[in-house]
Amino acid sequence: MIIHVNIVTVLSYILAVLSAIIVGFIVKLPLLPERPIRYSFTISIIFPTTVIALGLSAMVFELGWGGIMVGVITGILSALISKYLLEKILPEPTEPVEGES
Amino acid sequence: MNEIIGIIIAAVLSWANFVLIDTWMGLPEKPGVKGADVIGRGVKKRGGDLSGGFFQGNIVCSPDASAGTILGAISCYTIGIPAGGFIAALLVFIGNRLCADPGYAGTSGALSIMVIIALASFIGIPPEQFIVGMLLAIVTIQGIDHPRASRLLGKIAKRMGRYTELT
Repeated sequence: MIIHVNIVTVLSYILAVLSAIIVGFIVKLPLLPERPIRYSFTISIIFPTTVIALGLSAMVFELGWGGIMVGVITGILSALISKYLLEKILPEPTEPVEGES
Repeated sequence: MNEIIGIIIAAVLSWANFVLIDTWMGLPEKPGVKGADVIGRGVKKRGGDLSGGFFQGNIVCSPDASAGTILGAISCYTIGIPAGGFIAALLVFIGNRLCADPGYAGTSGALSIMVIIALASFIGIPPEQFIVGMLLAIVTIQGIDHPRASRLLGKIAKRMGRYTELT
């Protein structure tokens, strides 16, 4: 068994995701990307905000800062990164592929 | 469990994980970048399938579920579950966006292999066997025979309704 997790860590991950979703709604991120979702670069609450919240909180927990409040703050930061920073540092590509409809 | 049997089971699980997720996410439908287009048409010229060629080109040109699967396995080995899987998903997402890819396939691959590794640990398959297994799985797609592998990938794409409309 290699699962390294206790109840506080699980709660922290859940709260990180929940706070990211709540702040995502407050800063008016869309809930889902537009269809077809698999080709959409739209930044939404479900993707990539929750992935950023989980990844960032895992990094923070592994660096030694644990706890429920850290999870909540990481979730809030993740939603703010998604809304205000992500499009600037990782923008949508603009050049179309040859032969693509 | 015997190491060789564990690696074979891990290879099969990894292969199914990344091929099914990548196909479902539309990798065989169209090339995401010019490099994937060139590879797809090159594979077709050598007797392969265009859709399978686009799949092979796309996984070369950006980190899709294949990269998510191997990075997820490595992270679960080095960091543990679930932190390793979550960190791998975030890193693959950043890599995807840098390579003009939306990032759904890569992150799904990293998260799903984390779940698979967690479940497989109950029958005695450790994450390091998934690292070897995934390397073997990717060799069957990219390292042995491109045209034959592309024809198999094309058939899977047809079955899953993701065959390319480009010619």
